Amino acid sequence: MNRGVQIVVGLLCVARTVFAQDARLSARLDKPTLTAVTAIVDSARISKLPTAPLIDKALEGAAKGSDGQNIITAVHQLSVRMGSAKRALASNATPDEINAAASALDAGISVRDLARLRAAAGKRSLTLPLAVLTDLVGEKVPIPTATNLVLQLVRSGVKDAELAMFQRNFRADVDHGADPTVAATTRARGFVVARGGGATTKPPE
Amino acid sequence: MHDNDGIMKEIARALRAHRPPVSASFDERVMSAVRRLPPHSRFRLWSRLTTPRTVTVIPLSWGLLAASVALFAVIGVARAFDDVQIATKPMITALFPNARAPQPPQRVQFVLVAPDAKKVAVVGDFNGWDADHASYQAQHRGGGVWSVTAPVPVGHHRYSFVVDDSLWVADPTAPRVVDNDFGVANSAMVVQEQK
Repeated sequence: MNRGVQIVVGLLCVARTVFAQDARLSARLDKPTLTAVTAIVDSARISKLPTAPLIDKALEGAAKGSDGQNIITAVHQLSVRMGSAKRALASNATPDEINAAASALDAGISVRDLARLRAAAGKRSLTLPLAVLTDLVGEKVPIPTATNLVLQLVRSGVKDAELAMFQRNFRADVDHGADPTVAATTRARGFVVARGGGATTKPPE
Repeated sequence: MHDNDGIMKEIARALRAHRPPVSASFDERVMSAVRRLPPHSRFRLWSRLTTPRTVTVIPLSWGLLAASVALFAVIGVARAFDDVQIATKPMITALFPNARAPQPPQRVQFVLVAPDAKKVAVVGDFNGWDADHASYQAQHRGGGVWSVTAPVPVGHHRYSFVVDDSLWVADPTAPRVVDNDFGVANSAMVVQEQK
């Protein structure tokens, strides 16, 4: 199979994807909204940002019966947040990481904190740590506290499965009436100590 | 002996001198008989390919021909794409050792307790927020519990339940997404590959 054939096949696949996305949008958006959203999506594509979240945002707005102006605003804001997220996470961030980081920015996490997380995580994926951080902030854990807890967890080398368990335990604690900040701090300390890092606390006598 | 040879030559010369000449019509008859003989098969094929002829074609046949060509092209491209993927896999692995192959969607169970609901669907960025998507229609399991197990790609997702085609309900067991662009909160989840 020569290179020319590979390129043609690749272009066909890309074209198929692009046209499929456009078809979904054109089926659900009115003409002015479609034009504006398509322009934002094209701009994001040129900036090498993931375009799927933007299209999904527009589809979500249409499904929820939102008006065109709201959809355009939401898609544009998401595009801006993804641009900031990509700059903070470095150029090799995956689309999922950029998407999760855009959600974190929307929750109030700063670009500087994203960069700290990137530096702490090294090459591991930041998708789940960012999702956990956004969840903590959404449950009213103060942003500095939540950021430091997730940073500690990442630095201690917890795996994604352990982070997912941390998130489940935290939510169970909150559902049972625990203070979110106390629950998050206690659970995080437990995981960090179990990994052999962080400050140790003496068990109660 | 030499005398016999000389006599025989004399006789032959005398016979040739008295033989009547072959007429031109005889040559013609022989050659026309040769032309009527069936030609050699190889020559027949070549003649068919090179001899101009008039062909009558109905328009429908062009349509069928075009459709056939298009069908073969589509099938060919699909097969070629598979071949390219298989052929380039070792090369991609060698060039990009950290690159990961596309991960298959994982089966995720969604559960909502909605005793008064007539219909519950799951919508999210994995199905284009389409409440009519057949794979994401929850089934009533009794006692007001609705559930569906459906494929969701690996990654970070936002989703919600749509009850009776009108009421949007965030998953009470999952984290909420902070963004609230359209006035209805969503849930968030991270789907990981099962190892």
